[in-house]
Amino acid sequence: MTSTRLIHSVGVRAMEWLWAHRDGFRLDVDVDPDVGFLERFKPVGELALICKVLLREGVAGSRQAELARRLIDHTWRDTLDGGGMLVRGQRIEPISPIPFEVYLAYKELGYSRPELERAIVLNHRLESWTSYEVAPTRRLGLSAFQRRFGLVPRPPEADLVDTTWLARTPEPWTVTTRIAYHLTHTVFHLTDWGERPEGLPPRLADYLATWLPAWLDDWLDLERWDLLGELLVVDACLPRPTFDERAWEGFAAAQQPDGAMPAVRSMPEGEPDEVFDIVYHPTLVAAFASVMATSRVLTELAHTAS
Amino acid sequence: MEQSGTTALLQGAVQDLASGVVSALRGGDHVTVSGAIGEDTPTANLVLPAVRVLGADLLLPRVLFRSQPDLAELAVFRKAVESFPARADAAPAVRWSHWAMRRTLRRFEAAPDGAPGQDTAPDVDTDWLEGAGWQYLTHQLAVLAALAVPGEACAVTEVARSRPVDVARGFVRAVRRRDWQQAAGAGRWLTLLDGVPAELGLETGLDFVELMGGGDPRVALQIQAARVMRAAGAVA
Repeated sequence: MTSTRLIHSVGVRAMEWLWAHRDGFRLDVDVDPDVGFLERFKPVGELALICKVLLREGVAGSRQAELARRLIDHTWRDTLDGGGMLVRGQRIEPISPIPFEVYLAYKELGYSRPELERAIVLNHRLESWTSYEVAPTRRLGLSAFQRRFGLVPRPPEADLVDTTWLARTPEPWTVTTRIAYHLTHTVFHLTDWGERPEGLPPRLADYLATWLPAWLDDWLDLERWDLLGELLVVDACLPRPTFDERAWEGFAAAQQPDGAMPAVRSMPEGEPDEVFDIVYHPTLVAAFASVMATSRVLTELAHTAS
Repeated sequence: MEQSGTTALLQGAVQDLASGVVSALRGGDHVTVSGAIGEDTPTANLVLPAVRVLGADLLLPRVLFRSQPDLAELAVFRKAVESFPARADAAPAVRWSHWAMRRTLRRFEAAPDGAPGQDTAPDVDTDWLEGAGWQYLTHQLAVLAALAVPGEACAVTEVARSRPVDVARGFVRAVRRRDWQQAAGAGRWLTLLDGVPAELGLETGLDFVELMGGGDPRVALQIQAARVMRAAGAVA
């Protein structure tokens, strides 16, 4: 059985690193138009989603919860200029779903930018927004986000599940890194980022319970920490998580003393911003996996005790 | 250098034997090993070690197609069994592999009335697989793929039968690692097991392993063995 302390400490250290490097969550207002202003919104949106999970699960220590709250506040006020940058992005690319995807977690945490919400509601009426070509798992996520926002999802999520790789339960030996990221995100969207594990249909939960051990083993040995962390989140979303001891110990051992989690093998070298751009995601994932697994361990303990 | 040169020659001899078995399993020629014995060639002294390395699978076509090996073939097989006895302190997989050869030998050394020789109990148990992780279990089973023969149960078979999902996970792991030899061996075992999850896609998986690794006759042997066993199962 994996030590709860070990699982928990990964998240504590990850949050310390994210707070210490909060200025890495930055936008580029003078960006080359070919790159696009919205490109740098992804890290901010992911941070908000994970911090929301951390505050929601309620298993973080007071220090972790405080850091999550401060990171949310910092990025809303400073990075996003109180949501003004989201409005600006929406005006540059009116039917891009990115401002909406970033905004949702902030809205759920009590932040508000009515001007952006008007654009979201208008976009929701557009055939073009619904037809915007994205990967099936992201389309599933967009509908899930519309539901969370209070809109009627277009298309309905039930119509989208079967368009994903995971829902077809394909041959498990064909999984590649790219496929694995798709399937982890399908799980995230079906469960509202771990909030509703019951959102994962039993058929898919059985499939994952059968094959996840093989994938954890593989990406642990490949030292792909970013993907391994996402797979550990998937484990925590299953009806009976395994808290795979070897995977968790390897994952924890890869984490740096300051809390940074390398994406692949060991820490990259380079300018601070370059290093941030490579490791912020695996470090966020480490915080996510830690809080989800800690929450499930404590839930199981509570059930055992009662 | 001499050591590695000998190793390479032995591997080559094993592959040659395996190619013969593959051909026989495909319905072509039978395996010929006897001619090499006594020949004055650099590899002649590698025939017996190669037969020992390939193990009971040398006579697999005879087992699966229920035909009798010719006397010379059987003599070489017997000589390999006797020349390389498994020591009591050898690894369990080595001892089981040797037992598999002895079992095959007895099968064909029929009593005068035509009844097959009786199996003797193996002198090795499966304790080393008790509680083994699915990774190690699959690796060991793949090494012992020669034991995966329909209608030839033993204690190792029982372990495999009790853990179909674990062997299926091991197959996935082996394919992901491009360890075609292990994947092919695990795939052969899975052909015999009940309870293998359908989504594994075993049949396509075996074809995939052959496509990717079938240039190695030892891989092709396991795949072809699995195919013949599947076909036999479908008929039965």
